[in-house]
Amino acid sequence: MDILYNIFIDPFVQMGNAPDFLLQVLWSGFVGGTLYSLIALGFVLIFKASGVFNFAQGIMVVFAALTLVGLYNLGLPAWLALIATIGVMALLAIGVERVVLRKLVNQPDIILFMATIGLTYFLIGLGESIFGGEPKKMITEELGLPSGSTSFEPFGGLVIIEHLDVAAVVMAIVLVTGLAIFFNKTRIGRALRAVADDHQAALSVGISLNQIWAIVWFAAGIVALATGIMWGAKSDVSFALQIVALKALPVLIIGGFTSIPGAIIGGLIIGFGEKLFEIYWGSLLGSGVEGWFAYVIALIFLLFRPQGLFGEKIIERI
Amino acid sequence: MNMAVAPTGTAASKPAAQEVLLDVKNVSLSFGGVQAIKDVSFNINKGEIRAIIGPNGAGKTSMLNVINGFYHPQVGEITFKGETRSAMRPYVAASQGIARTFQNVALFRGMSTLDNIMSGRTLKMHKNFFWQMLRFGPALDEEIEHRHKVEEIIDFLEIQHIRRTPVGRLPYGLQKRVELARALAMEPELLLLDEPMAGMNLEEKEDMSRFILDVNDQFGTTIALIEHDMGVVMDLSTRVVVLDHGEKIADGTPEEVSANQDVIDAYLGVAH
Amino acid sequence: MFYREVGQFKTSYKADQSIFPILQDRIGIAVILFVAFAIIPAFGSDFFLSSIMIPFLIFALATIGLNILTGYTGQLSLGTGAFMGVGAYACYKLTTFFPDVNIIIMVLLSGFFSAAVGMIFGLPSLRIKGFYLAVTTLAAQFFLEWCFIRISWLYNYNNSGAIEVPRREGFGDIVLAGAAATPATRYLVVLSIVVLMTWIASNIIRGRIGRSWMMIRDMDIAAELMGVRPLYAKLSAFAVSSFYCGVAGAMMVFFWLGAAEVESFDINHSFLYLFMAIIGGLGSLVGSFMGAAFIWILPIIIRALPETFGIDINAATVEHINFMLIGGMIIFFLIVEPHGLARLWQIAKEKLRTWPFPYT
Repeated sequence: MDILYNIFIDPFVQMGNAPDFLLQVLWSGFVGGTLYSLIALGFVLIFKASGVFNFAQGIMVVFAALTLVGLYNLGLPAWLALIATIGVMALLAIGVERVVLRKLVNQPDIILFMATIGLTYFLIGLGESIFGGEPKKMITEELGLPSGSTSFEPFGGLVIIEHLDVAAVVMAIVLVTGLAIFFNKTRIGRALRAVADDHQAALSVGISLNQIWAIVWFAAGIVALATGIMWGAKSDVSFALQIVALKALPVLIIGGFTSIPGAIIGGLIIGFGEKLFEIYWGSLLGSGVEGWFAYVIALIFLLFRPQGLFGEKIIERI
Repeated sequence: MNMAVAPTGTAASKPAAQEVLLDVKNVSLSFGGVQAIKDVSFNINKGEIRAIIGPNGAGKTSMLNVINGFYHPQVGEITFKGETRSAMRPYVAASQGIARTFQNVALFRGMSTLDNIMSGRTLKMHKNFFWQMLRFGPALDEEIEHRHKVEEIIDFLEIQHIRRTPVGRLPYGLQKRVELARALAMEPELLLLDEPMAGMNLEEKEDMSRFILDVNDQFGTTIALIEHDMGVVMDLSTRVVVLDHGEKIADGTPEEVSANQDVIDAYLGVAH
Repeated sequence: MFYREVGQFKTSYKADQSIFPILQDRIGIAVILFVAFAIIPAFGSDFFLSSIMIPFLIFALATIGLNILTGYTGQLSLGTGAFMGVGAYACYKLTTFFPDVNIIIMVLLSGFFSAAVGMIFGLPSLRIKGFYLAVTTLAAQFFLEWCFIRISWLYNYNNSGAIEVPRREGFGDIVLAGAAATPATRYLVVLSIVVLMTWIASNIIRGRIGRSWMMIRDMDIAAELMGVRPLYAKLSAFAVSSFYCGVAGAMMVFFWLGAAEVESFDINHSFLYLFMAIIGGLGSLVGSFMGAAFIWILPIIIRALPETFGIDINAATVEHINFMLIGGMIIFFLIVEPHGLARLWQIAKEKLRTWPFPYT
């Protein structure tokens, strides 16, 4: 019976006894979830527009952050390094479109997916040979990001909120709003949605697929840069981050591959769930459950709702 | 219009011995809000060639999908060889003796013609994993025995020259023929052909018609056929069922159907 | 001129369906086997045997395992490394419990454990396809990795967290595993297992079961309409594939590394096997060997090249360049020849048939 008590009763007793700690856990889950959402957002953008499941999104996050720090370390001022990094992401987008997507158009999805795994390795090798493999510090202050923290004392306890985390959340909200406006209100956004719906039909009304793909990959690159900055500020910038970035995949499973709101909510579910589970239930299994919790949640989702929370049910035709 | 030309060949010479092979009763099928089939009933007699015709979107392919278990109708039941069922998995239909070809060729593109046709023998092969692993003794004998059968079908459909070719490289007409061969390899009792002549030129259509008649004649296979070419339908089929907007509007011999006012209206449009 | 099948008539379907219907191929494979079994162990240096040939053969077997699942059945897996881990840990536990049983039997038995685990993680494949399945195999990868660390029973509560291969003897008193085993012995054991299992794989693939896998891969709906039960086809592919991976994993630890931790089975290794399968050619057994050779030997050459030219490059840079090259090669192959080295080999053979008079 002990085990049942430990699973079903004890964690909630703990939560009730220390509500301030619970709040702290929830907040860190929220911040983590926001960052997952941002990576997932990059995936969704590319998947919607080109049907490519971009495995390299996680590495683009690291690559962008690494470029930013690397350029700063070479002596560029922070703002110039930021602009230059945006330029590098644009070049990367164009390069990917030219070298990979254009050549692989009309190939089965799985081939494109594997090509992005190849791209992942290529970017790891490229980033490391230019900037070196050792972990680096994100240039938080130089970019004008806030530091320090504010503490609250609800329920007679203590909750500490880092300003950096607040900045991360604000940045995520701004990015998502900006992208939503871009998609819904501009000509390019409309073209993008057309491409997402049907490549050939879009081509036939004069939309340039190549241009759209480059734009989308660029947008995903910007999202990657933002994510990289925030994540790099929380831990160091290194390629170990890619394992964390892979968690965007379960986020997508939960949210559906084509839904931006889905990416956000999926990210939050994973963020909250993972932190709560690790803190309150993790000790039952030994620590480190964060490593696979997200995937197991995704697995359960796949068994019961394969199309995700917001995806459409697929009717197979023959 | 040569639609009403008296049916030739098998259709006329077939005796009227009526044993019902497949009976579709009050079947309705909808996807979300779209009603694909509305309360359709008809039957297929043993040994006949039954055509299902109708304008685009009439629900013909959906009907075939219901018959071989790919779609599950919300209402209605299907009786095949005296066994009634409402929903089942496609592989069960296959094991009961229903084979089909597809509107858009659905061959196994990574495999050669020979392997594609051999794949039709899947259900007839039973040797277990152990023998398969060694490919020796019983497994090899079985493989060769079925190879003989497959070669007969290859001869029958005159595709010896493309035996080793990967099907992806074949021209469309031949792909259709390989698909027919694959379905025949299953030795089905009921063969469903979904637009076997779509996109073919006259000569290819004549070839395909001849094959269909031969199959019906030599193997005694019952055939359900969806086709848009009225000349072909009128010449080949014993009886015709006409669908329009998911409903059955006519059922009978080719002459009866082609004289039916509803059918003419459905095809030519009607002044309101 | 030499590679011609002219005049070789097959008078039975049996002859037509043998593995190597062409005489020259039969001679070729006999020569290869002779070199592999007799020449290499007799004349190969220890370095060549234990750092090139043994890992190459083991990787080739793992790639065959992955190919069965991804290349033949079309189910993408990113968890190969973890399935190999299951085999390795299972073998370690088995030989702990039964130290007297021949280690080769244990290596083969351990495949059944990874087959069982593979089938469990293959269950979702009945409902989902493509990248979705890739994510569930990632779940397997990370969950199993975690198990290899957290369940200390698996590595007999060693402080190091690693499994260390004990000395094992068999066939009289030949040392088969452990530090005392000679490279030549280990090489011959690995080679025998790999050859045997490759032969079995080719038999399965050419028969009914292999065809039903390929039917599922090429068009799962049509396959089902022709009587293939997706449950059986997919789970059998998962089981056989994981069996191969498990045996490869057990061999990797017992006949090559001698000791292993979870790092030997991490996600990067899973990717490496996927790359071997892609570069070699998805859906090709020969390709599995070619891909394994390519990915394993290319870095060795890259490492050796600067030295031969007298240039001094540090090891890290070489590693990075290696990453870039492999990534680039993957993209290159997917664009230019999605069927990999195996297809290039096939094209070469076809050219060879008419060489040197291509128009006759």
